Amino acid sequence: MVAAVLSLVLLPAQSLRLNGIEAERKTRPPHVESDEAPSIERAFNERTGRRVLKPLDDGWYGFRLKLGGITPGSGIAAGPEFVHRGSRATFRTSARHSVIGYQTFDGELALPYLAGERAFANALYVHRSLPRMPYYGAGPNSREDDRANYHLKDSSFELTVGVGPVENFRIGAVGGWLHANVGQGRDARYPSVLALFGQPAIGLTSAQADYATAGAFLEYDTTDVPGSPRGGGDYSLRVTKYGGSHNRVDVRAQHYLPFFSRQRVIALRAWSAFTDAPAERAVPFYLQPTLGGPDTLRGYNAYRFHDNNSLLLNAEYRWKISSGIDMAVFTDQGKVFPRMSELNFREWKSSYGAGVRLNTRQNVFMRVDFGCGGEGCAVWLRFNNVY
Amino acid sequence: MASLQQRLLIATLATTLAAAADPPEKIRKQEFHEFRDFIAKTFGRLGGRHAKDRVISAQNVDGHGEVPDSAWYENRHARRRMSVDELRRGPGDSSPPAHGPWKVVAAKREGVTPGFQIEDAHGRRYLLKFDPPEYPELVSGAEIISTKFFYALGYHVPENYIVRFDRARLAAGTSTDSTDKPVREQDIDAALALMPKDSRGQYRALASLMLAGEPLGPFFFSGTRKDDPEDTIPHEHRRELRGLYIFSAWLNHTDAKAGNTLDMLVEHGGRRYIKHYLIDFGATLGSASFEAKSPRQGYEHMLDLKPSLIQLVTLGAHVPKWARAKQAGIKAVGSFEAEAFDPDRWKPNYPNPAFENRLPEDSYWAARRVMAFTDEEIRAIVETAQYTDPRATEWITRTLIVRRDKIARTFGESGLARVKGKLQ
Repeated sequence: MVAAVLSLVLLPAQSLRLNGIEAERKTRPPHVESDEAPSIERAFNERTGRRVLKPLDDGWYGFRLKLGGITPGSGIAAGPEFVHRGSRATFRTSARHSVIGYQTFDGELALPYLAGERAFANALYVHRSLPRMPYYGAGPNSREDDRANYHLKDSSFELTVGVGPVENFRIGAVGGWLHANVGQGRDARYPSVLALFGQPAIGLTSAQADYATAGAFLEYDTTDVPGSPRGGGDYSLRVTKYGGSHNRVDVRAQHYLPFFSRQRVIALRAWSAFTDAPAERAVPFYLQPTLGGPDTLRGYNAYRFHDNNSLLLNAEYRWKISSGIDMAVFTDQGKVFPRMSELNFREWKSSYGAGVRLNTRQNVFMRVDFGCGGEGCAVWLRFNNVY
Repeated sequence: MASLQQRLLIATLATTLAAAADPPEKIRKQEFHEFRDFIAKTFGRLGGRHAKDRVISAQNVDGHGEVPDSAWYENRHARRRMSVDELRRGPGDSSPPAHGPWKVVAAKREGVTPGFQIEDAHGRRYLLKFDPPEYPELVSGAEIISTKFFYALGYHVPENYIVRFDRARLAAGTSTDSTDKPVREQDIDAALALMPKDSRGQYRALASLMLAGEPLGPFFFSGTRKDDPEDTIPHEHRRELRGLYIFSAWLNHTDAKAGNTLDMLVEHGGRRYIKHYLIDFGATLGSASFEAKSPRQGYEHMLDLKPSLIQLVTLGAHVPKWARAKQAGIKAVGSFEAEAFDPDRWKPNYPNPAFENRLPEDSYWAARRVMAFTDEEIRAIVETAQYTDPRATEWITRTLIVRRDKIARTFGESGLARVKGKLQ
């Protein structure tokens, strides 16, 4: 009885409500849009997403496009890369060609988890053809007007084995072989290195040389995100012997000081390279430490300074302006010098500038740095982090 | 004038009758394109919006502003206080993966966390989701807590369980209804190789029971489904979706987007209808699904012009309050705090039309539901995450309590009166 009465009372209300819903449906504002994409856009999305963009990112049967990464000054480079990842090993090979004729081919087998993940091994082969490499002469006072160029073809094989006895610490040994061939540069705007400087002055005994290489390294890395650090430090020492030629020692220290919830970072780097050749020999110019370019002194041309030794100090203040976008202001200070006795604070080259970095949480995938130094300014577009 | 109960009954009956009168027939699966959604929401204004001279009130409410039970929403803790045990149980604790071997039938395809699809001895299928190796307990903890809160708040959500197991429990297998490449034992080994184990050598994961019915893709936060005759109210004008802003702010659900919703075609009592779920709460609290949140999340959209320009122009000298807020410093917690939290200025990763249409009444409706949780109830739900570190439980509980209180002050009775006063 109660239900019947209630239904009599409520049914008109239900009917009104239903009418109201129907009326609302008809009078819905004309500017209401659905999130559904138009059919053309759907087809475009699916096509680009599945057939173009996804393979670019994920690869197609292990193949994908690889951009950049030959050497500073090579121009934009691209080529195929093949990667096969197993549970214990990764094999990777790529070939790239740049817009101004630089080429590289490489292959790498990485075994990062040996002996219960305490040991690792890596085999790397690289072949490069760099037809327009710049050279300005040795020393901190080399002149910009003395720019010459040469064609460097080299092939190297390097086998690395090491252990990580404690967390963040790695120690290992490196052995390999390097074949280098120096020829006439292909940049007609500049003279040939051999013609301008002469073979003895640049440490060459012949255009071709082979070196057996052997060395050792220590690394201590506490950075939070290796591809785009915001805290911690990365310190390394590497000693390499180039058989029959010279020895080289690289010392590098990078430290990151985060503040304000890691939205701001002071990034510091000190990097020194020292070579030591027998009295009767000189270090070949193409194996000398260099400064200048997007990864060292950003206000100077790539490979602007060469000599037997180098010292570089970088400081950057980085701040996040948006998701995936960081800004930076930086200063780079460095010098090259022929003898250890000249390791001092005279004749330093300085550059200053600012940059923008596009990043994921794990990596900086593109950066544009604008740097000015004693010889003008330069803009660098790179697909890596500076340090 | 009809009483509240009468009006609620009218609204419920009307919705039920409308649904029953017109069951869906030709239904197709909707697709979600994340990038398009991001662009459309960031640079466009989808859905019906308030005009300068006229606001559009929520359209699915009764005379007292209540949302009737429907395929979208069910009044739970707000209508009848759930017991602490019910809150702990959430959407159900009757169907955890059964004892015995679990057959791995496919790799997990959706989302960003690694995982498998498994079948237990009863043939029930689950999504087994792991925490990122660098952040043990972060994602699974956030997901289990938020599942239970969103359930109690009234939404349809999946049944999620924290499970611990050893390698022997998993066996490679195939499924009769899957076209996926069969999973091999070495695939399982490779996936587990990077996963952390606890002191007993066991793995921890989140097992999410696959929803019953036929998946039809996500629902969107504006417009309606053209193929669903029951879907008459533009989503941007649904109170439970506008009010979801408040709940998302409370639980820091920054990834509240269509991609984390799912429509299921279900059959109940001989009637087929589309049921609307919220799924995947891996990006709630301090978790960002595959790592800890950036402390910026919840305070700025991914692309947010004004704060970005301020940072650009000031060279970072302007330090937002959120960047100075104290964080827990616990990996299982990630970035989740209450110090800088301002409920009215909270932001999801990118704009959401229903959130942007939120009116004071919508916020008030939602705030009352947040205020319904006592400190003890909040703690009881947080404890279901089974954090190894008791400091994680303590931090999250305390943060949720403070955030709840801020919501109450901002949108509760006094907040509503303040806003209405400004409008008059």
